[in-house]
Amino acid sequence: MKKSSFWVLATLAAVFIIGCQNQRAPAEQAVAAAESALTNIRDAATRYAPDQLQAVDAQLNGVKDSLAKGDYKGVMAAMPALNTAISNLKDTATAKQQEAQAASEKAKDAWGPLSSDVPKMVDAISSRVDILSKSHHLPKGVTKDTLAAAKSGLDSMKSAWSDASNAATSGDYTTAVSKGQAVKDQASQIMQSLGMKS
Amino acid sequence: MADDKTPAGDNPYTQIHVVQSGDTLSKIAQKYYGDASLYPKIFQANRDVLSDPNKISPGQKLRIP
Repeated sequence: MKKSSFWVLATLAAVFIIGCQNQRAPAEQAVAAAESALTNIRDAATRYAPDQLQAVDAQLNGVKDSLAKGDYKGVMAAMPALNTAISNLKDTATAKQQEAQAASEKAKDAWGPLSSDVPKMVDAISSRVDILSKSHHLPKGVTKDTLAAAKSGLDSMKSAWSDASNAATSGDYTTAVSKGQAVKDQASQIMQSLGMKS
Repeated sequence: MADDKTPAGDNPYTQIHVVQSGDTLSKIAQKYYGDASLYPKIFQANRDVLSDPNKISPGQKLRIP
């Protein structure tokens, strides 16, 4: 009786070990495939869906922990959810990347007229400020404070425009347009204050 | 009287004055700069259409730098 029990237990142990070994390779392959899929989208995900990436990383780490502990059944059970999460992450990152590219193209189009207009506005204001600075009196509606504000505004506009141009040069048209439009608005306001608009 | 239209090729943001009957460059300088003595600035900016600062004609479009 004792002898037969031993063999039964030994057989069960062997079956268990073989069973585990049979699950190990698929589990390792599944984790490797998931890691590879995540690596392929990591750059885009880091930029466009960082929070979602963090959650997927945590999910992957959990699966890798299970693998390290030999819980191959647990690994295989967790893989569908992990693969779905990676797939969703890819979809989100791709969609946001496309949105960003579309916005960048739109900004690039807007930068063209802006880059032409603003320097001309600044030139016109600069010329008027130079002349008014030589005037013994100021025209109706323009005060010394207005002129002083225009002078300091010119300096800040030139600095901000330089930042906008640098952003455009580096390909960041969204920032370029944002900063450039702010300069244009300021220039328009100064022109109004100096009576340069009818 | 100010006008938004600009001569071709000009800075579109340079102000334009359409000469009215009775205008002189001094009067225009007084209007835009508060100082009639600055009329040469307007004359210089419009040398392509003005040969004499004392001769301007109604309807002419002058740049006001």
